[in-house]
Amino acid sequence: MADTINQSGRKGFLVDTSKCIGCRSCQVACKQWNKLEADKTANMGSTENPRDLTPALYNRIRFIEQESSGQTVWQFLNQRCMHCGDAGCIKVCPSPGALYRTKEGSVVFNKEKCIACKYCVSACPFNIPRYDSNDKVAKCHLCYDRIAAGMSPACAKACPTQALQFGNRNDLIKKATAAKKKLYGVDDLLGLGVVYALEGPPEQYGLPAKPEIPTSIFLWKDVIKPLGILGFWGSIGAVLLHYVTVGPQRTEETEEKGGSHE
Amino acid sequence: MSNYIERFSTRQRVLHWIVTASFFTLVLSGVGLFSRLFNGYFNFFGGGQNAILIHKIAGPIFFLSSAYMYLDHRAEISSFDSNDMEWFRKAGGYLSREPHHFHIGRYNPGQKMFALFIAVATLVLGITGLFIWVPTAFPRWIVQISLMLHGLMFVGSIMFMVLHVYLATIGNPGTVQGMLYGDVRKDWARHHHPRWYRERTGGK
Ligand code: SF4
Ligand code: SF4
Ligand code: SF4
Repeated sequence: MADTINQSGRKGFLVDTSKCIGCRSCQVACKQWNKLEADKTANMGSTENPRDLTPALYNRIRFIEQESSGQTVWQFLNQRCMHCGDAGCIKVCPSPGALYRTKEGSVVFNKEKCIACKYCVSACPFNIPRYDSNDKVAKCHLCYDRIAAGMSPACAKACPTQALQFGNRNDLIKKATAAKKKLYGVDDLLGLGVVYALEGPPEQYGLPAKPEIPTSIFLWKDVIKPLGILGFWGSIGAVLLHYVTVGPQRTEETEEKGGSHE
Repeated sequence: MSNYIERFSTRQRVLHWIVTASFFTLVLSGVGLFSRLFNGYFNFFGGGQNAILIHKIAGPIFFLSSAYMYLDHRAEISSFDSNDMEWFRKAGGYLSREPHHFHIGRYNPGQKMFALFIAVATLVLGITGLFIWVPTAFPRWIVQISLMLHGLMFVGSIMFMVLHVYLATIGNPGTVQGMLYGDVRKDWARHHHPRWYRERTGGK
């Protein structure tokens, strides 16, 4: 199952951080639509809550605190699965159908097919997949059920400020580029399904400046795997070739008795 | 006088077949994890999750038995002398039909290399396997490198295994008998491991 993507029909988010007010409506709407349990949280001395994605939290608002002329200012980042065009999670998943791409270009999971190997977490450049109590994968699925029914994702629908815009990915990018926004994720990994308009360098938001599938994962899947399959059949071929050309090494007595018996 | 000479004790044979059985269990249960091409192998175990469970059971069995096998043989497999070098230079005589005469002891250098590789692979597969077992308990980079090394060692092991099975069966008739029954024909021993044969029998 090749992971191919149709860029022109691709749907996605444009997350405009300048418009986000940190209300967390998106967090709540996602939980409601997906019937996700509440996570127990603890006061860690910050308004940011919860502090990380969980199997029951597909998106969350990251609070970035900054000193600006003696004042504390906040920036907010909606963190979620990026629905990468070249998705490390799909690349390494050994179970067909556990992680797959919809025709809208989102990366969706099916818990029934997930075999709990947890490979996807190692291959994700953004450390997104989480595992529920049954060790099955959980992450934002871009509300594939709502999209298929012609609705917008629950989080985008709930956003009161249009910080979360959903629609045709190319159109959203075109509009944001025209508005001179600084965009993140337009071309990385064949384009992220979640493009951010940031107000500072990506690192400030906890995003990798140049997101890439980790090198060791690339070597594992794109080099070792094909070479291994080649090597396996190659060594079988070499051995058979040896058998019919040079042939087995017989000792005198086995030779007298007519040679090899398997 | 018997035509046969003992090559492997019962203990060594049982150990070898435990290593073999766990190895192939690991291959069959793991190959579906290696590539989606082999997804069908999950069916032998009733699905991927069961295959992973079997893999996790066979893993420690292989690790312990293989490590024990290495410790059992480490003196014999880790020293190479000039006769061994000669064997290497002529590729063990496997590349031509010409008769050859090497002064080979109990194990030839190819077998030593195989045993050493499997020892290293056992260690690497075991350690990386542990990280892959509970990936969320370790830093991501460790698990990422483990996945790569686990795959690499798997590939090396499977290629060596093809060679090992070939050379021990149809490539060298008379060899597998040693592992099956413990005894090998004397002419086989004289031909393949003359120095060992002399040490065991004190000449003819
Ligand atoms: S962000 Fe991670 S989980 Fe989401 S599609 Fe990309 S690789 Fe997969
Ligand atoms: S797209 Fe759907 S699943 Fe993803 S974060 Fe938004 S509401 Fe949750
Ligand atoms: S709903 Fe919109 S404004 Fe509120 S936190 Fe989410 S993205 Fe920000």
